[in-house]
Amino acid sequence: MKLSSREQDGVVILEPKGKIMGGPDATALKESIRDYVNEDKKRVVIDLAEVDWMNSTGLGIMISCLKTVKESGGELKLSNVTEKIKSLLTITKLVTVFDAYDSTDEAIAAVK
Amino acid sequence: MKEPEIHDNKIVIPSDQNLIAKVDEFVESRLRDRNVDDSIIADIAICATEVVNNGIIHGNKDDRSKTVTLEMAFASDEVTITVTDQGKYFNPEEVANPVDDANLMREVGRGIFIVKNLMDQVDIEQANGGGTRVILIKKLK
Repeated sequence: MKLSSREQDGVVILEPKGKIMGGPDATALKESIRDYVNEDKKRVVIDLAEVDWMNSTGLGIMISCLKTVKESGGELKLSNVTEKIKSLLTITKLVTVFDAYDSTDEAIAAVK
Repeated sequence: MKEPEIHDNKIVIPSDQNLIAKVDEFVESRLRDRNVDDSIIADIAICATEVVNNGIIHGNKDDRSKTVTLEMAFASDEVTITVTDQGKYFNPEEVANPVDDANLMREVGRGIFIVKNLMDQVDIEQANGGGTRVILIKKLK
């Protein structure tokens, strides 16, 4: 997984790319979120358009990110969730935990 | 970092979570060689990395002197993947139900649940050396 990030309208947008399956992926995403929250940037969108799939470790990382943001009083949304990941979120009932939007613009509007 | 050893359809990896992407590369390459559909490749890669992660973390307890072995055997329309660790037998089915509302925010504990949903058959048994052996079967068409 490669991770890039940007800010738009005061919202942090994280853009992982590839597959989220554990190992160094966990550290990269969690640390990035923690760094932004520590800078008081607590409105976050994770754009999953370029993520092919994730396994349970990847889902655990997403939950960790969600907890970090929520516990700081912020909000985290997902955007551009691919069919494979939608299916995993449905199987695991995590579809009830995450707010997912079809586009990053919609997610930004929802988190502002 | 010790590198995985690859022989034909078998990969042996040291218990280092940083090597998990090598397992994905290995599994996906063997399936692409057989022109398997991308969606099925993704399901199999998700489960293979899942089970190897379990072997490294819960089986071998991240002991880098121990390895996890993954072997792929192809029949005409299915693949059988056998993953064996060198740790103490651990049955991942003995975890709390991950889709209970009380467990939804847990960061771990849904691996084998996902594997059972995506594979056609999953068997978990104690390996000869005392570790855990997980056998995954998936139709390729």
